[in-house]
Amino acid sequence: MQADLTTILPEIVIAVYAMLALLGAVYTSKDKLAPLITWATAGLFLALALWIGLGGDGAAREAFGGMFQDDAFARFAKVVILLSAAAVLVMGMGFLERHEMMKFEYPILVALSVVGMMFMVSAGDLMALYMGLELQSLSLYVIAAMRRDSLRSTEAGLKYFVLGALSSGLLLYGASLVYGYAGTTLFSGIIDAAGEGYAPLGLLFGLVFVMAGLAFKVSAVPFHMWTPDVYEGSPTPVTAFFATAPKVAAMALFARVLHDAFGGVGQDWSQVLVVLSVLSMFLGAIAAIGQRDIKRLMAYSSIAHMGYAMIGLAAGTVLGVEAMLTYMAIYVTMNIGTFAFILSMERDGRPVTEIDALRMYSRVEPGKALALLVLLFSLAGVPPMLGFFAKLGVWRAAIEADLVWLVVASAVASAIGAYYYLRIVYLMYFGEENTSALDGKNASPVLWSLLMGSALLMLVGVISLFGIDGAAATAAAALVN
Amino acid sequence: MTDDSFSLIIIALLPFLGALVPGVMIRAGRNACAIFTALPTALALVMLLLHAPAVMDGEVIKAELDWLPQLGLSAAFFLDGLGMLFAGMILGVGLLITLYARFYLSGEDPMGQFYTYLLLFQGAMLGIVLSDNILLLLIFWELTSLSSFLLIGYWKHLPEGRQGARMALAVTGAGGLAMIGGMLILGNIVGSYNLTDILAAGEQIRAHEWYVPALVLILLGAFTKSAQFPFHFWLPHAMAAPTPVSAYLHSATMVKAGVFLMARMWPALAGTPEWFYIVASVGLITMVLGAVIALFKDDLKALLAFSTVSHLGLLTMLLGFGTEAAAIAAVFHIINHLTFKAALFMTAGIVDHEAHTRDIKRLGGLAKLMPITAVIGTITALSMAGIAPFNGFISKEKMLEEAVHTVWWENPWIVPALATLGAVFSVAYSLRFIFHVFGGKVRDDYPAKPHDPPFGMWAAPALLTVLVVLIGVMPFLAEPVVNMAATAVTGHETHAHLKLWHGLTPALYLSIIAVVGGAILLALHKPLDRAWIAAPRPEAKAIFDRLLAALAGLAQRISEGSHNGSMSRYLAIFVAATTVLGYLAWSGSAAAAPSRELLPIPPVVMVGWVLLLVATASVVICHRNRFRALVVIGVIGLIISFGFVYLSAPDLALTQISVETVTIMLLLLALHFLPKATPVESGAARRLRDGVIALAAGAGVAALAYVFMLRDVSTISGFHLANSYKGGGGTNVVNVILVDFRGYDTYGEIIVLGIAGLIIFALMEALLNGPAAAKLRNTDYSQDRSRDRHPLMMVIATRVMMPVAIMVGVYIFLRGHNQPGGGFVAGLVVSIALLMQYMASGFAWTQRRQQIEYHSMIGWGVVIAGLTGAGAWLGGKPFLTSGFDYYHFPPIEEFELATAMLFDLGVFLAVLGGVMLMLYSLSRIARYAGETVNVAPMDYDPSQDDGGEGPGKSDQTERER
Repeated sequence: MQADLTTILPEIVIAVYAMLALLGAVYTSKDKLAPLITWATAGLFLALALWIGLGGDGAAREAFGGMFQDDAFARFAKVVILLSAAAVLVMGMGFLERHEMMKFEYPILVALSVVGMMFMVSAGDLMALYMGLELQSLSLYVIAAMRRDSLRSTEAGLKYFVLGALSSGLLLYGASLVYGYAGTTLFSGIIDAAGEGYAPLGLLFGLVFVMAGLAFKVSAVPFHMWTPDVYEGSPTPVTAFFATAPKVAAMALFARVLHDAFGGVGQDWSQVLVVLSVLSMFLGAIAAIGQRDIKRLMAYSSIAHMGYAMIGLAAGTVLGVEAMLTYMAIYVTMNIGTFAFILSMERDGRPVTEIDALRMYSRVEPGKALALLVLLFSLAGVPPMLGFFAKLGVWRAAIEADLVWLVVASAVASAIGAYYYLRIVYLMYFGEENTSALDGKNASPVLWSLLMGSALLMLVGVISLFGIDGAAATAAAALVN
Repeated sequence: MTDDSFSLIIIALLPFLGALVPGVMIRAGRNACAIFTALPTALALVMLLLHAPAVMDGEVIKAELDWLPQLGLSAAFFLDGLGMLFAGMILGVGLLITLYARFYLSGEDPMGQFYTYLLLFQGAMLGIVLSDNILLLLIFWELTSLSSFLLIGYWKHLPEGRQGARMALAVTGAGGLAMIGGMLILGNIVGSYNLTDILAAGEQIRAHEWYVPALVLILLGAFTKSAQFPFHFWLPHAMAAPTPVSAYLHSATMVKAGVFLMARMWPALAGTPEWFYIVASVGLITMVLGAVIALFKDDLKALLAFSTVSHLGLLTMLLGFGTEAAAIAAVFHIINHLTFKAALFMTAGIVDHEAHTRDIKRLGGLAKLMPITAVIGTITALSMAGIAPFNGFISKEKMLEEAVHTVWWENPWIVPALATLGAVFSVAYSLRFIFHVFGGKVRDDYPAKPHDPPFGMWAAPALLTVLVVLIGVMPFLAEPVVNMAATAVTGHETHAHLKLWHGLTPALYLSIIAVVGGAILLALHKPLDRAWIAAPRPEAKAIFDRLLAALAGLAQRISEGSHNGSMSRYLAIFVAATTVLGYLAWSGSAAAAPSRELLPIPPVVMVGWVLLLVATASVVICHRNRFRALVVIGVIGLIISFGFVYLSAPDLALTQISVETVTIMLLLLALHFLPKATPVESGAARRLRDGVIALAAGAGVAALAYVFMLRDVSTISGFHLANSYKGGGGTNVVNVILVDFRGYDTYGEIIVLGIAGLIIFALMEALLNGPAAAKLRNTDYSQDRSRDRHPLMMVIATRVMMPVAIMVGVYIFLRGHNQPGGGFVAGLVVSIALLMQYMASGFAWTQRRQQIEYHSMIGWGVVIAGLTGAGAWLGGKPFLTSGFDYYHFPPIEEFELATAMLFDLGVFLAVLGGVMLMLYSLSRIARYAGETVNVAPMDYDPSQDDGGEGPGKSDQTERER
């Protein structure tokens, strides 16, 4: 028991912190405390990320009879989750304060959802999986609808909740089928029951439904419908959060379930993943073309990116998981930078999200325009930006797993997808003159440094990928065996 | 690392390092800026030339640095003949352009920025030709797209410049991304991403099943970059860039990258019919098409641009032939084209710079005004026309000779005929360039007075012109260079024989036809031009724009079709996708043979089943009438409860029926505040679609259940059956599971139930203090209200039933551990008893008689359950371990006391509190909605009949708030 609690100490710390902060704020000055809580939460995330990333002996540990796995894979995902959540929290603060949406519950809900994510990536059991997933989702439902006076925000939250509940139901149905067949909810037991080769029928159904539920969380086509509406409707800081940490957690959980519980029946899930991945890449690329709203565009962009990341999963190898993790880390970095930019898009002090507002932005603020150019090229996967190396990694993994046509399809999708990223670049540099230009020089130091920092990473990162790939390799090796 | 390889890496890096300087240097003046651009270029060129002797001897210089090996990447460079040729061209022309741009650009242009972009671009190009790793090559490839985008868009104020930059980036960028796919396949086939390995594995590649996809993808990259048909349209539109850029990018370097790639990959990919038919045909079409269009362009740069397209087509065609001689001719023409085309672009730039127009129709007679420029322009244009004794003549002869030998689809004359046609037009536009710009009378309406530019501006084209003449007269001078590059292209040593005079060959006759035909065409130019303008012809740019618009429209339709914000569509997609996934799983795996017999269907079950079906169908049919739908839903719940009874699960039946009753009652209450009917929002088609999807999904679930029920599965029921009495002291397994085996779950559940009740309460509280309350109050509900809302019979009956119902609750609670029942059901039963009071006598009346707060009931429930669980710690056991023992107090029979019962009490209280709190919250709305509060328990109380007032009595009402 003692050892178990020690193992999940980081999660306990955040959970206790969140509850104390909630009670504390309720009984004191409420929303006035919000900035303080936000900073404290971000600081806590950072500290925990350092603790998890640097502390410890690197050995894999189990808690609660295998329900909770603390291995290199989980630690990698947790560090990415914590760091990105911290960045998003800090980055959204200015926006929330300016537009009077700074509620003290926001950082606390983010903290709770982060606890959920940390449990997700460490899940060693169907029940732990579901617990983590729901803790995360419930927090997200609430923050999606945080702006209660906005029709779009509440609508987004409600849609997300209804569809999310449906997908959770599906996942539970699948989980109970798996349990019914395997007689246990522990991944280590399921993998024994599944055996090698092809899964028996009952287990296969369970697997497929669990995958459908998880596909919803990573917003893979055709379970992606909530994404554009929620991205568009939520306040921008929330959208930024949606686009980063939860995606990493869901993807890691996906990998965790597939490898830990169904590692022996790779052929079965690989096909499903290939279908999800191809659909996501193409729908993400094609549907984004017609978008006029940059947040909606980022929704489709994230759908497409999840498609690419799933290529790594579909490969079903150590290399594939490694590539997926690297991809997610790079994806998150790119998104933080891009959203730092979107958060600073304002005209006459009001937030703007139309892409057309960016016409000739390079005249208004050349530095920020250049940074966004780099990020967009990186998102498009154009060499030599870091985004290309992310894609290259998953493609390499897929090719080694003999999924050549998947690679070809995804190269075609990325060529289509490049169009809409480049369209923004085109508008910024060559667009028709804009009568109502965006305000210049309004980025707070935080936003500015995050934007420039992540753009710089896209360029400098190519030198060595900052050793992320090494950590990802260790993490992948811990998962796949 | 040897000195050679070290110097190779330095060469590759120099332009990038140099690119940092000019941007900073611009303060030091334009000359300093130009010098600092020229320095790294010159240095790199010198270092490159130092390697020339070795490379000419067939040596290949290699250098490799480790870089992300796990991605298959390494910073590997190699220098062979082909690389040498191109690197020399890139650096050499780069120097000339630096010089030319210094004089061409005006003082207002941000020159430092320009030179930075130029060096970046130069470095990227150099990287392409020196890379030994195809992934590295790809990176440089896209880098050229990027930096050329910056260069082309350099003059941002021109609208064409914008369009051009966008189209160039869209076309070449997409092509490059497609090429990545091809390169990865290639690397997969060979098992290495090193070019040297790939070039050595030509046989293996061509025999591989993935050869064609790889070929197509790689060619897509090459064709888009080199502006081959049908991607030829972007190049002329990119010409809005400053002339130095056009001269550099569109004559010497970037557009040659595609040709370079085809030459580089020649040993690996060429020689198959696929290669021939794709590459040679595309080249041929491009050559003819480009030449024809060029003749009718009035803009000098557009004319040259289409001429470049045409010449690139020629090169592509030659490489496509796949023969050694053709490859030699291609290499030779690459050199020649570079010399005359770069010079011509610069000439055009000089004309533009001096006369302030590039429109041929406004020029003419410049020979007398700017003689030096005229000489340069004439010589180089003659070379472009392929007229002796200039270098263009020799390479065109070679081309025609190869064309003559080429059979296309068993047809020996089509290639030579088309090639000659291309040559005819090529002569025509070249002559037009000479005669319509420099020839003719001096005009007096030039936008500016033209005269020869300063030496610095014409020095670069003059130098190239010297080369044009030199190679033309003494072609053997170029032989070693051609051999060096051709050897690298073909993979074995070649011996080019370059002569001005080959004798009376068929190629010479074709050349003569071309010159004569070209001259005739030029003579007829005026009528032809009119005809051309009048003739309807597909405009590639318009087609491109329309195609893009159509694609964007399609994309929009797709996204709007699938994401129109409609929940029902999302759900339809979700359910359909899940059904398909389920089907995939079903078809992907074989089920074991059924191990159970089908049971006979007894009539009772049949009746229940039919009732269930009818009720379900009724819900679907009458769901718009909410009240009716609720009634039918109640029926469904009842039948399911009966099902449990039939299957001997009394406990489940009991729970089901109580839950059913409570929820239906709460729903009824909620219905009170909702519209009576759901409006019709969907058409028949959509309902049909939804119906089909729903049926498919339902059938899927049914099939799944059917399949599973026909097979034996391992179950955990046995364990609970065996241990329920032993471990939990109860014979009601369900109850023991709830309060013992899975006590944790139950504990959690009652907390959740309590929280749910509290949240409903809190939400209502917030709602009723907000604008919703005002809205409720202002709505007029009075018309359709029954005058007999608290009927006598109902009040009496519920009063009588109340103690009975509570007694039943207690009974059920007490027997729960061993018989069907338990705290949960008991809680529900008691709440039903209380609910009935609320229904019969109205909310306010009942409320006044309520003694215990529901909030605290929930709290106490949780506390009791928690304390019971914690009590186990006293006995040194884990949380929620239950204990039980048997007692005998006379005169009562022996009975059992289990801690589980205490726990169950907690459950009972929490359930009761939760349900009642929900009811309380809902009822509160009623008071805001204008519900009157009755003082008496019933509308008409006979016992207090004071005659005459009748049912109106209850209207002694008070309206709250």
